[in-house]
Amino acid sequence: MMATDPVTPKVTPIEAIRRVSMPANHAADDAGYWADQMAAVSARRDVECFMHIYDHYAPRLQRYLLGLNVPAAQAEELVQESLLRLWRRSAQFDAARASLATWLFRIARNLYIDSVRGEPHWLPIQDGLEQLDLECTDSTTSSTEAFTDQAGLSRAIDELPAPQARLIRMSYYEAKSHSEIAHELSMPLGSVKSNLRRAFAKLQAGLRPSR
Amino acid sequence: MNPHHHLDASTVIAYSAGALPAAFAAVVSAHLSICSACRQRWLDADRVGGHFLKQQEGAPLSSTARASMLARLSGEEPEGSAEVAVSTTHDPHALPKPLWPYFGETYQALRWRLIGPGVHHIRARDVTDSHLMLLRVAPGRSLPMHSHGGNELTMILQGAYDDSLGHFAPGDVADLDCDVEHQPVTSPGVPCICVAATDAPLRFSGWLARTLQPLFNL
Repeated sequence: MMATDPVTPKVTPIEAIRRVSMPANHAADDAGYWADQMAAVSARRDVECFMHIYDHYAPRLQRYLLGLNVPAAQAEELVQESLLRLWRRSAQFDAARASLATWLFRIARNLYIDSVRGEPHWLPIQDGLEQLDLECTDSTTSSTEAFTDQAGLSRAIDELPAPQARLIRMSYYEAKSHSEIAHELSMPLGSVKSNLRRAFAKLQAGLRPSR
Repeated sequence: MNPHHHLDASTVIAYSAGALPAAFAAVVSAHLSICSACRQRWLDADRVGGHFLKQQEGAPLSSTARASMLARLSGEEPEGSAEVAVSTTHDPHALPKPLWPYFGETYQALRWRLIGPGVHHIRARDVTDSHLMLLRVAPGRSLPMHSHGGNELTMILQGAYDDSLGHFAPGDVADLDCDVEHQPVTSPGVPCICVAATDAPLRFSGWLARTLQPLFNL
């Protein structure tokens, strides 16, 4: 294992202070902490900050892909590729639009659809749609991640009725289609959809509690 | 385009979760490319995905993964910020961009096949887990009453139609599941062109059944 890291650049005093004042467990929940790490990666190719992101998110991405039934070796290759993408495209990260977790989820999901599901058109189409997102950052500031309430979302998920929470989790953790969920739970397709609809409305309300 | 009929939230979730069959994903992408309201809901759905990613307990990677990641970094050049100019003006001759890989760029270049009185279609070939097709229906025509064994997602590209669910104009999507039986009637004037995804054979109960059934039921 890499206990000491030969590539690590010098730690500036400001970063040192921040790290001391932010114990790892606390920092991991803080979108601002990860935005700072990304800013350092983007501005000066800071390998140490990148490896903070790697150490925290690589195992989570691995768990996510294993949950989608990707074989372990292929999942690990996708994890590495996802983080390499983050390294290459760090300048495109916009903390005001999406948290690092949301951005990484998009990257890993897209690579999964491209390489595991084998849909050759997915990546270019996604890149095109994300361009549109960049153009549309005009006046919709209230909808940016900076103004969304992560705690509110967490609360909203906790408060979902058990059947709705189960459907949401099956969707995200297992990438199950509505038909597959309906079959697996012996539930009418229409009920799967209407429950997901109700759940999503609650989650959106959680993201924007002021509305 | 300023659509009045949008994607169902359950469809947005499936798209975000990577759980939508390819044909449906293509229609969703096409609608997202012209509908900022649905793009916003899509981003919200991705935030839910990001939240779950963050909340998850990690799974161990192989013992060499970290070192190999570090080794790969030095060889990678940054891509810089994306500055590709994307035209926001709507070109009436062009299909929505996400449909280009399946059908080409312009309506003019489409090679329609007649499949019934006033009805033409083109199938996307490289979709295997579901059916993706363009349909062109002559103006003022009534399609046979049909319902679906599974889901159907349709986006209007040109022209318009009416059914019991309302008036559907360019940009609108009809996001239907198996409970719905409908009979679209195209508006007078120009043909109605739409892109449709289905995951199960349509069930026709009308007179066109013999013509259309073999088409959908492959």
